Amino acid sequence: MLAAQMGDVVVSYGGSGTLARQVQQGAPADVILLANAAWMDAVPQARDVADFASNTLVLIGSAGAADVDLAALPAALGEGRLAMGYTEAVPAGIYGRQALQGLGLWEAIAPRVAQVDSVRAALVLVARGEAPFSVVYATDARASDAVRIVATFPEESHAPIRYLGGVLSERPEAQAFWEALRGELGQGILADFGYLPVAE
Amino acid sequence: MMWEAVFLSLRVSAVATIVALPLAIWVAHVLARKSFRGHALLNGLVHLPLVLPPVVTGYLLLVVFGRSGVIGGPLFEWFGVTLAFRWTGAALAAGIMGFPLMVRAIRLGFEAVDGGLEDAARTLGASEGRVFRTVTLPLIAPAIVAGAVLGFAKALGEFGATITFVAAIPGQTQTIPSAIYGLLQVPGQERAVVVLVVISVTLAMGALVASEWLARRMVVR
Repeated sequence: MLAAQMGDVVVSYGGSGTLARQVQQGAPADVILLANAAWMDAVPQARDVADFASNTLVLIGSAGAADVDLAALPAALGEGRLAMGYTEAVPAGIYGRQALQGLGLWEAIAPRVAQVDSVRAALVLVARGEAPFSVVYATDARASDAVRIVATFPEESHAPIRYLGGVLSERPEAQAFWEALRGELGQGILADFGYLPVAE
Repeated sequence: MMWEAVFLSLRVSAVATIVALPLAIWVAHVLARKSFRGHALLNGLVHLPLVLPPVVTGYLLLVVFGRSGVIGGPLFEWFGVTLAFRWTGAALAAGIMGFPLMVRAIRLGFEAVDGGLEDAARTLGASEGRVFRTVTLPLIAPAIVAGAVLGFAKALGEFGATITFVAAIPGQTQTIPSAIYGLLQVPGQERAVVVLVVISVTLAMGALVASEWLARRMVVR
């Protein structure tokens, strides 16, 4: 494992915006990994900035739900809600809005959207049966047995899903971790969890 | 969108406070005056929303009051009532988060009442109900106002449980805090954030000033 090779890596999780603001305010981080390119620009002190993974955007339903034709999503939703991360703020919500706009469905769907503060909170709403569908990443869908992927958004319907990172401190371990994550070992682990390699 | 959130917040907080207040008075009375098995348990339960992370409270609300929840399930099946994604759900979340603060303030009021006054009323032949209405209640009125204002202020600021339980739907569940949260996550929306922050500070201060004034008027009487 990466951890075994690198020693202890202490992880501080948070939304991309939260993490970027924390680093702006001087939080002592060695490496920053974000799910949003715009927030990466807000951390100008990061060095060696690069993409390290990508993902697939999917529509999930409850474990027993049937596959859905995306063009028929407004009808499939009916009076139900589509759970999404904030469509202006949470990266999965932003990609989801772009994808639905790209498919020409946004105007029909927008009034039915229930926004939450993270992609995982959107997943929970489907897992608990409150919302029939939610837009999440393929990697999130794998995290719960209570949901299944009922449709996959075409790659060209939204901006490429980018995970970026960069080095913040002068510690040699920071640079080594960042390189290992982008190397064979790190990429293998990310692939095991369902992440896609960086698009060429 | 901004004013929609402001009016929704006021409605959610007002309904939460008005519905929770009688229950809070009753629970405060029980906690202050009665000794029974499970006293500590009830006290702990009441305070739970104060000490749990709000997101956990929101998740518990989803589990209990959600469409497939222990209480939410029968509510939906028998009465067709759903709370998730509705402003009523936001009011439930806000009321539960404010409840411990109401109970604490009102309980202090009960504990400060001079028992001799109530005994005097009893020796003059007043029933327990009449003693409560005409002696105890007027004496603890300032505590009730203080509890109601604290609960209202807490309801106004509630975010974590609300977003987890009822999400943010403009006009339904997008209150001031969730509108601010949404705007804060987008670079360059600081101006709208400032306006909303000023509004919420004004509302909270207004509620506090009003309660001070009310409480003073009651004491003079």
